[in-house]
Amino acid sequence: MKKSLLLILSLLVVCSLAFAAGSGEKAQAPAAKISYEVTEPITIEWWHALEQQYWPLVDEIVGGFNNSNDLITVEAKYIGNYATVNENLVAAHAANSGVPAITVANTPYVAEYGKGGLTEDLTPYIKATGYDIDDFGEGMLVASAYEGKQVSLPFLISTQVMYYNKTMADKEGITIPAKFADMETFLKKATKKDASGTTTRWGTIVPGWDQWYFETFYLNNGVKIVNDDRMTTDLGGKASVAVTKQLQDYMNKGYAYWAAGTSASSTMRQNFLDGKAFSVIHTSSLYNLYTDLADFEVGMAWLPAGDTKKSEIGGSVILIPAKNDQKVKNAAWVFLQYLVGKEVNMRWADGSGYMPTRNSVLTTQEGEDFLKRKPAFKTIFDNLDEINPRIQHAGWNQLATIWKSNLDQIMLENTNVESQLKVMAEEINEVLADSE
Amino acid sequence: MKPLLSRKSSKKVGDFATVLPALLFLGVFVYYPVVQVVRISFTNWNLINDSYKYVGLKNWIWLFEGSGTKYLLNSLKVTFLYTLGELFVTIIGGMILAVIFNKLAKSFSIMRALVFLPKYIAMSSAAVVFLWILNTDNGILNYFIMKMGGTKVNWLGDKNRALLSILMLTGWRTIGYGMMIYLAAMRGISTNYYEAASIDGASKWTQFTRITLPLLSPTTLFLFVTTFISAMKVFQSVDVLTSGGPYRSTEVIVYMIYKYAMEDFRMDRASTVAVFFFIILLIITATTMKISNRSVNYDV
Repeated sequence: MKKSLLLILSLLVVCSLAFAAGSGEKAQAPAAKISYEVTEPITIEWWHALEQQYWPLVDEIVGGFNNSNDLITVEAKYIGNYATVNENLVAAHAANSGVPAITVANTPYVAEYGKGGLTEDLTPYIKATGYDIDDFGEGMLVASAYEGKQVSLPFLISTQVMYYNKTMADKEGITIPAKFADMETFLKKATKKDASGTTTRWGTIVPGWDQWYFETFYLNNGVKIVNDDRMTTDLGGKASVAVTKQLQDYMNKGYAYWAAGTSASSTMRQNFLDGKAFSVIHTSSLYNLYTDLADFEVGMAWLPAGDTKKSEIGGSVILIPAKNDQKVKNAAWVFLQYLVGKEVNMRWADGSGYMPTRNSVLTTQEGEDFLKRKPAFKTIFDNLDEINPRIQHAGWNQLATIWKSNLDQIMLENTNVESQLKVMAEEINEVLADSE
Repeated sequence: MKPLLSRKSSKKVGDFATVLPALLFLGVFVYYPVVQVVRISFTNWNLINDSYKYVGLKNWIWLFEGSGTKYLLNSLKVTFLYTLGELFVTIIGGMILAVIFNKLAKSFSIMRALVFLPKYIAMSSAAVVFLWILNTDNGILNYFIMKMGGTKVNWLGDKNRALLSILMLTGWRTIGYGMMIYLAAMRGISTNYYEAASIDGASKWTQFTRITLPLLSPTTLFLFVTTFISAMKVFQSVDVLTSGGPYRSTEVIVYMIYKYAMEDFRMDRASTVAVFFFIILLIITATTMKISNRSVNYDV
């Protein structure tokens, strides 16, 4: 048995060394002049993450394109949530097989995809076809670019907001605080407890399953999640400790609960709809869902601010995977322009909870008309300049995993904030330095 | 004319030709990927980049001396705990049920089938159902607990209960399988042994410990090895029920590998953990087989 084991291990090492002798770098062929024209009939696949309730809208929009275009036929394919789309896309890219012609991607993946060359740089397409991208919000364009290259374009854009039970708020005279410092007073008023001190209605629920939701509390209170050197974090610093302690205090006092785990999102939503929570922090893209399901009036408020009142872009961008034939890429580019076009964008915005992405909508009569249909979006329209691109770093996903896991422990186990954040920051520093 | 190959050599070539398709299949789909994983563990490949560099032992140092060590140790602990749990349910639980059903009349065969049935329900589907059964606020399990005067239990969000919750799903699926395997083995034991023991005045317990258990040892070994290897590779139930949380308390090794590869894009680190895990499995399986050769009774 010993001999067999040794033989297997030796074989593995020998084979690995044989492979190691080869080069990992691939030579780049000189660029030839590329045509961006679609000249023959072609069928392309579009991967999306729009759930079943949006499929009629997807069919309508894709059908509209197919009917108006003689050469290109688009087949829309629902892949799953953003994480599933990412897994499938990265696996297809690595295998160099089965990549879609065009796909959505969650905004935090832009940096890694851009750095790794997964996405086609759209800049030459934009230039060659004279496509006007200046009508997009500036922050949205930055969020869909990587190191100056437009590797994707804004598609279904959202931001962090606080949904609250407006019926309760009006009845009980509760207002959402504008400042993070006033959160405790608000939470005390919005929370209900029974005689034994057990919370029967939470003031709010903080999503712990995705750091995007609590990230702004840190950013607006002076925490640099990735320092300017791009190799270190300030998440172990004083400002971060203060915010974390504040949040931990809300949990300890029963004012809020930390929603973590696999079904945390749906449970949180259900608690809000059942009146067990006065407010929840969530994405603006779920506005339609909340208003459709609630038997009370749903209000939407900007998250309480610190020194600043920034929020971050969420939702998805749209991109063309680089490992496609040029013919496929050309067809995908035509469809991409249609998908992010002003008219179609407004149909997305009306039919889902996503935001209009065009300046010419946001600041004109069309925007006014949109607000008449969805008055709660006024809070977003009033703060458009505060919506920022997300932090781009190739090690971002690793940072997020470590941060979420540590905050889960701090909030759910009430561990010591200073010591835990200190150790966490050291680990994040290692990840950032290794990824840059 | 003298044949090109002797009869013996010709037979060898024929034998080799017979197994060649299977060898080729294994080579392409098993051994080549294994070699590739070993190779990647010495690179900085991040799954997205087409290019990569060889970084020597950097990933191995991260695993054994860097921040990876604590996660590796945690995942090893979680994986072994889970494996012990699944082994206990499948072997001990399966044997108890087999003893019970072995004594029951044939009319209980429907019940037996019902216990066995969950094994054939897709793990992902079963896990989604358990996700709702175990939901803290709206789950049916907590509903019954509260009806009986108890308090809500945070099954999946409490680090001390999350692994147990996963094992509840596992037990529900595998206990019937263990039972069926043992039941088949018990029915294969000659009644002569029991008759002789009865004549000698052996009690039922003595008959069980001195006849049934030893003669079930090949079955136990089979269940141990197959359950051990499948339990060490658990993934789906963890992915659906807890995603490795809360705070890594259910992060088994395979989930750790998946997370590094598909969420963090660190294929290099994922491969390093995978190679280490492969070696561990290889050693444990080899040791188990060696020990079993000495202690398993194949006489029936």
